[in-house]
Amino acid sequence: MGKHVVCKVSELPPGERKIVTLERRSIGIFNIENSYYALKNVCPHYKAPLCKGVVTGMTLPSKPKEFNWGREGEILRCPWHGWEFDIKTGKSIFDPHKCFVKSYEVTVEEESESVETFEVTVELGAVVVHI
Amino acid sequence: MTQNQAVKLENKNRKRTGIIDCDVHVSPFDNDEIKKYMKQPFRDAFRFWGRGIFDNPFTEVRPDAKPPTGGPIGSDPEFLREQLIDSYGTEHAILHPWIYADYYADPDLKAAICSAYNDWLNDTWLSKYNHDGVFKASIVISHQDPSLAVKEIERWAGHPHFVQVLADAGARAPFGQRHYWPIYEACQRHGLPFAYHPGSDGLGSNTPFTPGFPTHFIEWGTTLVCGFISHLVSLLTEGVFERYPGLKVVSLEGGSAWLPAILWRLDSHYKSFRFEVPWVKKLPSLYIRDHVRFGSQPLEKPDDDKHLLYFLEMMDAENIMMFTSDYPHYDTDHPREMFPRNIPEQMKNKILYENAREFYRF
Repeated sequence: MGKHVVCKVSELPPGERKIVTLERRSIGIFNIENSYYALKNVCPHYKAPLCKGVVTGMTLPSKPKEFNWGREGEILRCPWHGWEFDIKTGKSIFDPHKCFVKSYEVTVEEESESVETFEVTVELGAVVVHI
Repeated sequence: MTQNQAVKLENKNRKRTGIIDCDVHVSPFDNDEIKKYMKQPFRDAFRFWGRGIFDNPFTEVRPDAKPPTGGPIGSDPEFLREQLIDSYGTEHAILHPWIYADYYADPDLKAAICSAYNDWLNDTWLSKYNHDGVFKASIVISHQDPSLAVKEIERWAGHPHFVQVLADAGARAPFGQRHYWPIYEACQRHGLPFAYHPGSDGLGSNTPFTPGFPTHFIEWGTTLVCGFISHLVSLLTEGVFERYPGLKVVSLEGGSAWLPAILWRLDSHYKSFRFEVPWVKKLPSLYIRDHVRFGSQPLEKPDDDKHLLYFLEMMDAENIMMFTSDYPHYDTDHPREMFPRNIPEQMKNKILYENAREFYRF
């Protein structure tokens, strides 16, 4: 249980993801518009590698025959059966209360040890996952 | 020692793993691999159209099953072995290319497509990719012109690794009708089961299985079981298993939870309308265990595992269901994840292994 520095901020730009193993758990870290989210890389359905799925948007709930596309970049679809999950919460779209994947807190912290005396910017921050 | 005797010996000495996968899909690396087996004018006429309006709108494939070498899913034997055969511990996998030949209207073109895929399977997955005999496959046929289908069956019958005949469940008439009987005669003669699997169901030159066309893929995928129900009821009532007592049939990817209710309904009708079909000598449901097997995937799962166990018991799954993963398609089932935790061991082992081993005599 603890804090794990997974990468530099510059290594995980918006729209990208990174899959790492922390404390023997495979975890996917996502950058959505410079906010970071971490989900367990295991689909609650058949234990598929959920975080390898496509990151996309979704058709928002609508009246019959209306289509409203939204939440682009916030939805993760399992690579096996295509189940949709909210990356920000880990909850499934079809049944958020009963079907969800574990999510972890992510923070950005300034790197404490810097070898040279560069000016510290967000670029040099570290993405930290809290398990 | 003949090749068949060698394969029998190889099977006898094989390590028993407890899993036989009766539906795995493979693909050529590129279309030219298939085209090279086709003569003109069919070589140019075959455009790999797929299933037209009901191609999967999300993804046909499991994205994590794309080989690192860059080809389409199911095209790289080493990767397939690593991801499926070795990781699941599969003793045999029965391979099916997905070709949708019956989408087309021309029976000669359909037959040419099927022949080319069989040649390709024979030269690749069943030989140079198959040093240990793990891979088996089905002889793919088109059923529109049964005489051409029989010719194709005759080309491969006796092959040590072609273990059954495979047809598209998409059709112009239900499978019990006499139009198809020459195919069953050939299957019986050669001891090859007749399997059917979704393909161009209700599409292309096939008749719809619903009243008109559904609007969405979700409807098509849910209701295609209507075609499977029609085929099974037709096979049972037309007396196919009386005429061909050695015939075995395999229903793949067409669901199974409907089976108990449909058989109750059919048996109930039989009690009133037996006079219409006097060649059916017993309650139709009683033909199932001797003649029909069901692929497990996609297992229709209620929320409560207890209810799934009821269904498995009601459909006699212990004796008629065989494990299918449908790898590498999006709706794959996993042998260690699909069943309820409290499924009886014997039922699980028979579904994952023993039923197929006995059925295909592996």
